[in-house]
Amino acid sequence: MIRWQLAMRLLVRNRRSGEQRILVAALVIAVAASTAIGFFTDRLGRGMANQSADFLGADLTLVSPRPVDAAWIREARAAGLQAIETLAFASVVVGGEELLLSGVKAVQDGFPLRGSMRTAPAPFAPGAETRELPRPGEAWVAQQLLTALDLQVGDPVEVGAHRLTITRVITFEPGRVGNPFGTAPRLLMRMADVPATGVVQPGSRLTYQYLFAGREGEVTKFRDWLEPRLGPSHELVGVKEGRRAVGSALERAERFLGLSVLAAIVLAGVAVAMAARRYSERHFDMSAMLRCMGASQQDLLGLYLPQLLVLGLAASAAGCLLGWVAQYGLLYLLADLLPATPSTPQAWPVLAGVATGLVTLAGFALPPVMRLKDVPPLRVLRRELLPLPSRAWLVYGAALSAIVAVMWTYTDSWPLTLSVLSGGILLVAVLSLVALLLLLLSQRLNTRVGVAWRFGLNNLWRRRRGSVNQILAFGLTLMAMAVVALVRTDLLTTWQRQLPADVPNHFAINILPDQVESFQAFMENAGVATAQLYPMVRGRLVEINGIAVRKAVTKEARSDNSLNRELNLTWTTELQEDNRILEGRWWQPDDTGKPWVSVESRLAGRMGIGMGDELRFAIGEQRFTAEVASIRNVKWDSFRPNFYMVFPPQVIERFPATYITSFYLQKAEKPLLRELVARYPAVTVLEMDRVIEQVGRIFRQVTLAVEYVLVFTLLAGFAVLFAALQASQDDRLYEGALVRALGGSRRQLRAGHLAEFTALGGLAGLLSAMGAECLVWVLYSEVLHLDHRFQWPLWIIAPVAGALLIGAAGYWGTRAVVERSPMLLLRNQ
Amino acid sequence: MIAAQNLSKRVETAAGPLDILTNIGLEIREREAVAIVGVSGSGKSTLLGLLAGLDLPSAGEVFLSRHRLNDLDEDGRARVRGELVGFVFQSFQLLPGLTALENVMLPLELKGARAPGDQATELLTQVGLQGRLQHYPKQLSGGEQQRVAIARAFATEPAILFADEPTGNLDNVTGERVIDLLFRLNQDKGTTLVLVTHDEHLAVRCDRLIRLEAGRVVADVEETRAS
Repeated sequence: MIRWQLAMRLLVRNRRSGEQRILVAALVIAVAASTAIGFFTDRLGRGMANQSADFLGADLTLVSPRPVDAAWIREARAAGLQAIETLAFASVVVGGEELLLSGVKAVQDGFPLRGSMRTAPAPFAPGAETRELPRPGEAWVAQQLLTALDLQVGDPVEVGAHRLTITRVITFEPGRVGNPFGTAPRLLMRMADVPATGVVQPGSRLTYQYLFAGREGEVTKFRDWLEPRLGPSHELVGVKEGRRAVGSALERAERFLGLSVLAAIVLAGVAVAMAARRYSERHFDMSAMLRCMGASQQDLLGLYLPQLLVLGLAASAAGCLLGWVAQYGLLYLLADLLPATPSTPQAWPVLAGVATGLVTLAGFALPPVMRLKDVPPLRVLRRELLPLPSRAWLVYGAALSAIVAVMWTYTDSWPLTLSVLSGGILLVAVLSLVALLLLLLSQRLNTRVGVAWRFGLNNLWRRRRGSVNQILAFGLTLMAMAVVALVRTDLLTTWQRQLPADVPNHFAINILPDQVESFQAFMENAGVATAQLYPMVRGRLVEINGIAVRKAVTKEARSDNSLNRELNLTWTTELQEDNRILEGRWWQPDDTGKPWVSVESRLAGRMGIGMGDELRFAIGEQRFTAEVASIRNVKWDSFRPNFYMVFPPQVIERFPATYITSFYLQKAEKPLLRELVARYPAVTVLEMDRVIEQVGRIFRQVTLAVEYVLVFTLLAGFAVLFAALQASQDDRLYEGALVRALGGSRRQLRAGHLAEFTALGGLAGLLSAMGAECLVWVLYSEVLHLDHRFQWPLWIIAPVAGALLIGAAGYWGTRAVVERSPMLLLRNQ
Repeated sequence: MIAAQNLSKRVETAAGPLDILTNIGLEIREREAVAIVGVSGSGKSTLLGLLAGLDLPSAGEVFLSRHRLNDLDEDGRARVRGELVGFVFQSFQLLPGLTALENVMLPLELKGARAPGDQATELLTQVGLQGRLQHYPKQLSGGEQQRVAIARAFATEPAILFADEPTGNLDNVTGERVIDLLFRLNQDKGTTLVLVTHDEHLAVRCDRLIRLEAGRVVADVEETRAS
């Protein structure tokens, strides 16, 4: 029986050994990365779940584009529920000389029914809970609105034709249902002030929200009563639905970050495997000796496995601690986007982190360590005897199982796991080949460079398997970082640059039918060219070929946005100039009044809609059917009004419509908007430049968060480098001693090492530049349809950064080779 | 105590099969001190490996005490070794991560002995290393390291001690002292000693000398101890 203490004593004795340190460091990195994400998503998720009712501001919310039957509200009150109405609409708000599209919400006494608002007396002051509401004539606004309009508390602000005074800053508001990453800053006002604004007109895009609260049983009873009465344009949001809406957005973010974490774990696993291999080799003698002394195979496992377990637990604990600290970085980076205050940290991410650590350890370290039990005792007499190498299937099988296990927990889907896995294997195979080619090319240069470079390049070539691994590890990491950085810095500017100079940058919506002519005249007088004004009717697609749309489409399409909100329907005789008919034909003059519809091609693809299908629409309480007569391709980024569904004239003209158009304004012409809003208070102007700015900010934050997680991946790459250095340490020591014994100076040795790792880093950088260029090319030209520019700075920055980073790390890692006395080394051999 | 019958060891090499030992038969009695001598490559160490159960013969059989080693698997032979056998090697084979004291404690701990620390301290005192208990192998001279190895070999009071060129890595004077110590302890503890060496001077201190040449026993003589 081997004693536990003996195992622990050996572990403590070994604490300074390089391979043990690397093993621990690599595990710490893997666990820290996964725990940071675990904490982040868990806290946020629970934060939202806990606050769902508070978050919704009610137990049940009914969302409708039109006022609902007053009898419903009476029924709710009769059932003992509290019920209030709120009204939300997008409106351009004017403050001083500036304009801003904001999300206006008008409320009544009692709002919110659950939870409470938090407000601050001044910008950036700490928020406090309040039960009050803005008084008539007052507005409470979000911080961003003050910043954007350069206003202070106490300043006036105009909503449509009405002037309000800002009295408080909103720091938290329950009831922001729907898109948690919604962008328009909030303005809160009294319902009583709404008529004075003139914003509400027939056909305006409005969102009525009816909040209900009460005892659980009564809420359920009312819900059961209400549900069968709802029309297709109504949406009922309970605590459950609210959670799901927010949860799915979070889930996507989690997958995004999860992939970066996965890369960190895989690299850390490689480092663990290399360190474990060296650990195992360094324990061959001991195992042989113990076998001589009578230790059985089981005894040996009893000696090594507890060490491994304790190392794994200790490293996981340290990783959890680090991950706990690191999550604050993520919370900080994404602070503006978080829909809820994160809840207090809980224990489960720690458990998940420890599990990740142990699975990584088992998958990557177990096969080499298991070899120790097979060391032949005869090795004590014949040192050249080695245990049989671990079976390849065991090594790769164990590693692959570990990766799949971790991957599955992130993706929660087998097809995704398998496709990411096979894609990853393919990528690694191709890039390995490229790395090998690069190495071969650099080897060719060998004769044309100085001694130090020759020494370095020779070393890389001699250990080419390890070199390829390292070039790959760093190349992939730098590539990911480069792509994310390029996307962050280049994508939006490229896109904006490629828009024609006079592409419309404003949309005007909610133009009332009787205002169309005067609106056009107004714009003409101001010298602004507008696109055609299109009528817009809001309706839902409810059936495809007589089957309820949710049943008719695939599972994936069920969450499609176009199913969950009202679509803008229009009619016209002329095909928009940026539209192209793919199937069927465009309206002829005698098609007027025929129940036909032309469908946008991508929507048709997602929904599985084809030519001749019967589509049933609901507009308000009315329904009608149209047959698909053509499929259209739409160029959405033309910034002209475009529609999923276009009808011939006189099919939907009987429904209330508003008009939409787009136009281009230079910065200097922006004051015109003030006049426009004052003249047409119901018209909503969407300033696309502002929207793009806002989207850009969100985009930068998210990519920054991904880059933050990629730092862990880079660290894991360094763990691989140091593990490789460890593995070649004995050889290097011996070579170094020989070189010095033969008269080589320390300086020459140092220069050789520096050259070796600089070259390694440079090659990794080059590989990353190649990969990133390809990826960005695919992304730009195939996915985003932008002209791809050759990213020449990338080809300089990536190799230089790689050379500097890895050159420095390798130089530092090999310092012992230079510092040890050659005599000592040669004698020990 | 030890018996070998028709013992042969053949290995496959690139140049074809190679016979390292051929038809060895020998019997070693309890408390006997036997030297196996021969030039480099004569098969001495291979014989020691077979007798100690570190390896299996290609043909023939080996008995250690009442155990027929051929019948046992590797774990079974390990058990027999743990029970009966101690080793001293040319290259000392101390574990670099453990102190002198811990190295000697190791076989005791493997056996689950009580108070292994006390026993190990006593043994190290007997080999004159009471002042070096907490030193690591790296901090000890070659002679000191071999004395730790001897203390370790005797720690479990084995019935048989196998020593493979125990002075091979030591200078003459140190080697002499180590050998004196080995024989003194061997005598005190009544251990059967199998000593592999190419040093005739050392061999004559044993009761009996077995000479190997090209894998065959060419001489097996009882000697009068020179010391």
